[in-house]
Parts: sequence; C-alpha cells; structure tokens
Amino acid sequence: MKLDVNINYIVSGLERSGTSMIMQILCAVHVPVAFDDLRLPDENNPKGYFELEGGKIINKLMNGTFPLQKYQGQFIKITAYGLLYLPKGKYKIIYIERNLEEILDSMQKMSPVIDLDSKKIEESFMKLNKKIKHEIQERPDIEVLFVNFNEIVLSPKNHIERICGFIPLPQSYSKKMVNAIDPRLYRQRRKLGNYFQEK
Amino acid sequence: MTEEKDKNGFITISIPTQLAEKIRKRMEGTTFNSLSSYVTYVMSEVLSEIDEDTQEVFTKEDEERIKQRLRSLGYLD
Repeated sequence: MKLDVNINYIVSGLERSGTSMIMQILCAVHVPVAFDDLRLPDENNPKGYFELEGGKIINKLMNGTFPLQKYQGQFIKITAYGLLYLPKGKYKIIYIERNLEEILDSMQKMSPVIDLDSKKIEESFMKLNKKIKHEIQERPDIEVLFVNFNEIVLSPKNHIERICGFIPLPQSYSKKMVNAIDPRLYRQRRKLGNYFQEK
Repeated sequence: MTEEKDKNGFITISIPTQLAEKIRKRMEGTTFNSLSSYVTYVMSEVLSEIDEDTQEVFTKEDEERIKQRLRSLGYLD
C-alpha cells in the first residue's frame, strides 16, 4: 500500500477527539503511518498514541523545525492547534470531531490539573475548532475530510467508505478498517445529538 | 444625534436628510412601510452580526488557555 509521495497526510482534530482511533484504522490495512514510541500506551490510550516527538510535534511546527518533507506519503498525527503552524505544502487532512463535552471530560481525566473555569475552557476549544476548520477549508494547499467520532463508532460503515474515497483506498479495505474500531474505548459518553460540529 | 423618548417605548433619532433619501431608495421593492421600521431592522441585523463576531473571535486569552491545557496533557512544552 503506497500513498502519494508528494503529499503530507495528516490525521487531526482536537486532542482526545479520536485521532488515535483513526490512526489505528489506517494501520489495520497497512496504510503508511509514522509515529514513535516516546509516549507509550497507557490507560488513557490503551492502544497507543500514534504520535511523533512524544506528542510534542506542535513545538517543532511552531519553531519551523519539524521535517514535514520526511513524512510525505505517510500519515502523521498533528492535533488541531498544530495546524495553525502548517507551512505551505500539499496536504490531505482527515479531521475528526467529537462531542466537545466528551473531549473535555476525557482531557480532565487525563490531566493532573483541575479545571477552575471549565466554561471558559470549553468556549476556547470551541473557538479553536471553528478557527481551524475555517482555515483548513480556505487553504488551497489542503484537502480535508471531516469525520465524526461519535458517528463513526456507532455506525462506522459509511464513514469508513468516505475515508477510503478520500485517501483513496480500495473500498475492499473497509471491512478490516471497520473491525479495527473498538467501541469499548468510547468511554467518555454524553448524550447523542449534542455535537458541536458544524460543517 | 438627538434623541427624544415617547411614552410607547420608542425614541426619535435624527439622521441627515441625504442619508434618509439613500435609505428610502434602498427600501424600494421591500415590504417595509416606513423608514423607521427599515432602519430598525437593518440596525438589529448589524448589531447581531457584530455580537456574533465578537463571541467567535479566538483571542490571545483563548490561545493561552488552550496552551495551558495542552501543556498539562503533554502536547506542548
């Protein structure tokens, strides 16, 4: 399985939105993905983080030292805030969204810091998400596919087919990709219909 | 701008005649039957858009909050 070596492929979304799950789905059909083992699987991500630089890729993007060229033709994970620092290039981005309350619950569980003003943090992440979505849709060097974590876990088939169409991958891969989704890892559940995504 | 309150909860404001004429021309073909109702509608729309934009702006404070959270999660030094 080979991807276009002139393109940087990225899985993105807010932290704790399901970016690792998308990486797992891609790995299941041997799509080229790049990650290191600086941050090992733990109880928050039992199947691994699938990150480069131990998750701190954003720092290198901010100071312009991340070697994007080295990763052309492979999927890498860059969480949402890092996309603000993407230099001009040629990108395909799978951007995953999830109910924001679930994201914040999951962050809170993972973080040693207690939220003193969760309402403000929620607003800030909502604004960041909107800003990023707007910017990546406006850039001519980026093709983007939006997928929703909550929907993909509950009803994966159509979403996986969309991912196959976007990359592109043979639709015959979709069964293996669907099987890679582990609904047991969908742990921070809130009520359905409370998505904050807008397309 | 001058303002005069009336007992029905309205105020009167003054705008230059030339501007009023421009607004009247804009009103042609609409269902508004008075300059006041048209100006009220337009101003409400403008103010509501400004409010919306203000709420949506990703400020330095927002960015700082995000960075703090990312640091606590190990995504940023």
